[in-house]
Amino acid sequence: MSTYLYDGSFEGFLSVVYYSYRYKVNVTKIIKNPKDIDLLDEVVEIQTNSARAQKVYMRIVQKFQKRYVEKILQVFLCDTRDFEKALYAYIVLGFRDQRVLENINHPTIYAIEKLVSEYFRHLHKMYGFIRFVELEDGLLYAKLEGKFNLLPYLGKHFVKRLDGYDFILHDTQRALAYVQNKEEGSIHMISDFEEPTYAPSEAKFQKLWKTFFRSVLVQERKNLKLQQSWVPLHYRKYMTEFR
Amino acid sequence: MDIYEKLAILSDSAKYDVSCSSSGAESNFQKGMIGCNHQSGICHTFTEDGRCVSLLKVLFTNFCIYDCSYCVNRASNDLKRAAFSPRELAELTINFYKRNYIEGLFLSSGIIENEDKTMQLLIRALEILRFEYHFNGYVHLKLIPGASERLIEKACSLATRVSSNLELPSSKSLMLLAPNKTQKALMQPLKLARDITLEKSSTPIPMSTQLIIGATPESDFDILKLSSNLYQKALLKRVYYSAYIPANDDKNLPALSTVPPTAREHRLYQADWLLRFYGFSYGEILQRRKNLDLDFDPKMIWALDHMELFPVEVNHVDKEFLIRVPGIGIRGAHKILKARRFQPLNFEGLKKLGISLKRAKYFITIGGKFFGEKHYYPDQIKRTLLKPVKRGFHQPSLFESYYPAMNGEL
Repeated sequence: MSTYLYDGSFEGFLSVVYYSYRYKVNVTKIIKNPKDIDLLDEVVEIQTNSARAQKVYMRIVQKFQKRYVEKILQVFLCDTRDFEKALYAYIVLGFRDQRVLENINHPTIYAIEKLVSEYFRHLHKMYGFIRFVELEDGLLYAKLEGKFNLLPYLGKHFVKRLDGYDFILHDTQRALAYVQNKEEGSIHMISDFEEPTYAPSEAKFQKLWKTFFRSVLVQERKNLKLQQSWVPLHYRKYMTEFR
Repeated sequence: MDIYEKLAILSDSAKYDVSCSSSGAESNFQKGMIGCNHQSGICHTFTEDGRCVSLLKVLFTNFCIYDCSYCVNRASNDLKRAAFSPRELAELTINFYKRNYIEGLFLSSGIIENEDKTMQLLIRALEILRFEYHFNGYVHLKLIPGASERLIEKACSLATRVSSNLELPSSKSLMLLAPNKTQKALMQPLKLARDITLEKSSTPIPMSTQLIIGATPESDFDILKLSSNLYQKALLKRVYYSAYIPANDDKNLPALSTVPPTAREHRLYQADWLLRFYGFSYGEILQRRKNLDLDFDPKMIWALDHMELFPVEVNHVDKEFLIRVPGIGIRGAHKILKARRFQPLNFEGLKKLGISLKRAKYFITIGGKFFGEKHYYPDQIKRTLLKPVKRGFHQPSLFESYYPAMNGEL
């Protein structure tokens, strides 16, 4: 049995799907990191091909209901997990029969649904835990880190709330940034960057927020364990009140 | 007094008000406006007591002309007083919102001068926020009982949600602890707000209230009956229960050393959910008792009292009854309904759906099979569930015994 190696991009992944249909092979192992190759594996390296990927994507969009297409994209954003095998199986299942995609008892569907709900749990926490700082030119800037790539959804979320503002969401781990500039949003690679200068009033509001955060504590009900279960430590890195 | 001190004082005075959710407000994106509600609500941080912070919850002022004995801000208490200016407050809100610290504002106030004057100040702050800063996010406003109808109407048009605290579950207790307030007067702004907004649309503006638990002798039955009535009259969307934290020393109140009855508060919330989402009536929840059981949740108690209705077959039972099974909630029931369309569920399948079977297994059969223990008596089920978890044996390591001697910890 072969192992299929692709470059980790969405197009690359779709190229694997194309290959499997074109040459009628059943793909059971897909990897993106050459380090994961086992000694005895026979490796097929799949070249990323935009045209072919586009073809597969168009077929998916035609054939799948919108919410399933969304799910496929969401799973792909869970980039720290080995989702490839399940996602491939999901696409194959969907091409065969759409109705199966609702059957949570199916191991593949179960795996996908579980990953999607984990993605949304994480996303929902980040909706709350993102902290913007105001820069000297009025731009709002937020740094974040997280197990999944949340930028497309976070961008969509904040566009609705900060209408008329330019803002940047900077994923420092992935070196990616969502940039909202004059009504237009896009995701960019960030190769190098300098710490920006804050607006003069920024320190004041940070201090006010910390003041508020401290004074709403009800001492009689103090429960640090409970707090930590709601805001695990890894979320706190960029949160103003915990710094 | 600088703004930091003001904020510290006025948020400290407001923190005992438990209502702080921004959920249930529909998404209301508007071009050119700042802020948009999020249906499920968003928690922006959690304080050290593990409570969610979603809104900037402050009092406009903690000056108050009244002297209610349970309240920290009563007139006879000697404490630092402060007041925001409407503009200060609006500026604070918009800047916190911009930085994604909060979902919106929760504004309450002590009574300064008189009711109408106070209400006017609150409205002024909201006007600046809405019309000058173009804030479109969530605003929860406490109506001031006794304010004029015109002002309440204005407040309803500016706020996302309004509320008025009934404080205590009966008129008798109110008379004792807050001699200046009557239940009728406290109910008045809610009724007004309902009628005013009903004229304009088919649904009234969402309202909530808060009841203080444990300061007075009312039973859980009285409290749930009151809540249930309020829900039925379309007066309220939600009742909050707040375990009484002793703030003042008063002959009519529990002693200062009283521990807040948080367990009771928790059970009341559970019962409240049963009222609002699970189709229970208060009479069903508390059929033969006056108070909720503290060891078990109210749904469990109800089921144990009605063993003749159980067990039910998880693959056939309809939704209305499925949500009455202890351990299966609305979410779990939906998952089951969706999954069983394809194939009958078995024990493993249920576990995979994430249904907790710890309690449910005594009340269901899965594919005709019963998975609870042999015995099927309420007392035995209770005992099994309360039994402490067995810990494994601890194998002492060879070197462990030396440590105390080394670090002096004997």
